[in-house]
Amino acid sequence: MHTPSPPVVCYADAARCIVADIVSHRLVAENTYRLRIDCPEIAASALPGQFVMLRIPERVDPLLARPLAVYDTFTAADTEPSNGDTPTEARRRYADFIYTVQGKFTTALKELAPGAQLLVWGPLGNGFSVPTVDHLLLVAGGIGQTALLALGRECLGNKLYGSSLRSVPRAKRVTFCWGARHGGLFGDVTDFRDAGMDVRLATLDGSVGHRGTVVDLLDELAQTEDLLHPQSIHIACCGPEGMMAAVARWSAARKISCDVSLEAPMACGIGICFTCVAKIRDAFGEWDYRRTCIEGPVFNAMAIDW
Amino acid sequence: MSNPNKPLLPPPVPAPDLSVSLGRLRLPNPILVASGTFGYGREMVGFVALDRLGGIVPKTITQLPRRGNVPWRTVETSAGLLNSIGLDNDGIEAFLKNQLPWLKQCGAPVIVSIAGATQPEFVQMADQLEGVPGIAALELNISCPNVSHGIDLGTDPEMCRRVVAGVRGVTKIPVIAKLTPNVTDIVAIAKGAQDGGADAITLINTCQGIAVDWRRRRPMLGNVIGGLSGPAIKPIALRCVYQVRQALDIPIVGVGGILSIDDCMEFFVTGASAVQIGTANFADPRASMNLLAALPGALAEMNATRMTDLIGSLMAGAGAPAGELQKAAGNQTHAS
Repeated sequence: MHTPSPPVVCYADAARCIVADIVSHRLVAENTYRLRIDCPEIAASALPGQFVMLRIPERVDPLLARPLAVYDTFTAADTEPSNGDTPTEARRRYADFIYTVQGKFTTALKELAPGAQLLVWGPLGNGFSVPTVDHLLLVAGGIGQTALLALGRECLGNKLYGSSLRSVPRAKRVTFCWGARHGGLFGDVTDFRDAGMDVRLATLDGSVGHRGTVVDLLDELAQTEDLLHPQSIHIACCGPEGMMAAVARWSAARKISCDVSLEAPMACGIGICFTCVAKIRDAFGEWDYRRTCIEGPVFNAMAIDW
Repeated sequence: MSNPNKPLLPPPVPAPDLSVSLGRLRLPNPILVASGTFGYGREMVGFVALDRLGGIVPKTITQLPRRGNVPWRTVETSAGLLNSIGLDNDGIEAFLKNQLPWLKQCGAPVIVSIAGATQPEFVQMADQLEGVPGIAALELNISCPNVSHGIDLGTDPEMCRRVVAGVRGVTKIPVIAKLTPNVTDIVAIAKGAQDGGADAITLINTCQGIAVDWRRRRPMLGNVIGGLSGPAIKPIALRCVYQVRQALDIPIVGVGGILSIDDCMEFFVTGASAVQIGTANFADPRASMNLLAALPGALAEMNATRMTDLIGSLMAGAGAPAGELQKAAGNQTHAS
């Protein structure tokens, strides 16, 4: 018999469920779209690493919503990201999402034009909480960059999400390592460069950046970086499970703290269906299935039973 | 005396009486939320006014903690959701300590769903819950398709009778048996529940199914076989409600694929005294509230002032045109 889990504490009490208009919708990479919706109730409070559930209203096929990370939030419909954009939460109104077309939901979603409506609930999940470090390393695989942009922006002090009263630790610098199968899958890389991050790319076919994986990028970084003080470095990671497991091993071997944002299939996003569970270990090493939606999606990499 | 500027209003229409009875259990309205689709209630505070619900059936509890099945645990199919969660729960003691204290003050009747591995375990769990304040009824989950034992108790009429009778023998709490549609004769199982002394039955649990990824030559669910819910199974659920209502008098709680107020009304007319909202909670966390808001209007459309005007009013004669059916239903309302 396993040890029962303690009561869940991170409920979606602050989430809002609204019908939101699509404001813009465009192709940003191969099979990859950027969606902007008008959702002041959600945009005002979304924090780095949080997500929303998006559904096409009234349809029974696809029936359920899908989780998408909040990529960025804005005050005006037509602004692209700009450095120094630190509006009060009251004015923040639009939220952007980037997704790859994969199944029947995203296939249906990509056909929706500005003016179409979506049922949205969020913001959901715990989001990232970063310790005070000199160097924040963001490591993305595939479409995993979507969970990381806001975090990097905030740690560089060029944007603040949620309440204007929040205080967030600043990093002296942020390096963004992004791996994909090939270069055509990188969309809106300029968002990361313009925010002041040191961007390093890797592709399996070598079409763009380093030929190889993000772990190769990390190895390369380690050669020039002083890893004698691992406590001055923190990694935030999001991508395919195998890639995150490799990054978790890499950081554990160097005693560098690492948080990962798990991507699990979800039916509800709010803790009622018990679909999105992951094997998480407690302080005594005992594992239990935890709901990624309300106890994550961000977990310490050491707690995950890969 | 009267203000000449005040418009003459028609006399106010009295609010319909939404209350329903399930045997000894009386509920403020017939919109409940189904086990396994509403967490332990606490998760929904941001979306649902819990005290407005006709009842909450929290996620099924078992005697001992269960980790549940290996992922993937759900997969969406055409207009449906296939799940194999496997009764992931912390056990009855953790429920009494961590979940019930909050649930019982939320304002809605709490119908605790229990699943025993055997008949004696069902009885033992019911015995443990007898006398615990804040429990409006027990729902016996003798129909979960995702754990091997439950379905055995729910597919044999005599076993079903013995489980219900055993539970009735140790508790005064009203008892509802939740039945599986994965049987040859649903009426025989329902009769077993009625003979065992159930106050009501819930129809239906999920329909067994599988989903396959042919490119990988793999089943989609970690547990291979799961239970199908959602709009895809509504006709099956309605058929079960219909057959049982025609044969037996036991009150029925209808569940299976309800998304809209039309779906709710179909279940009431066919013979369900109340309904449970399940998969719809996933598709829209506010679903139960939306249906509750739409219910009085739908009753008014049928000239019904109370739920009993509707329940089981289906004109079973085959082939009546839709207009005739509506007229007949209206006539019956006036006559009652």
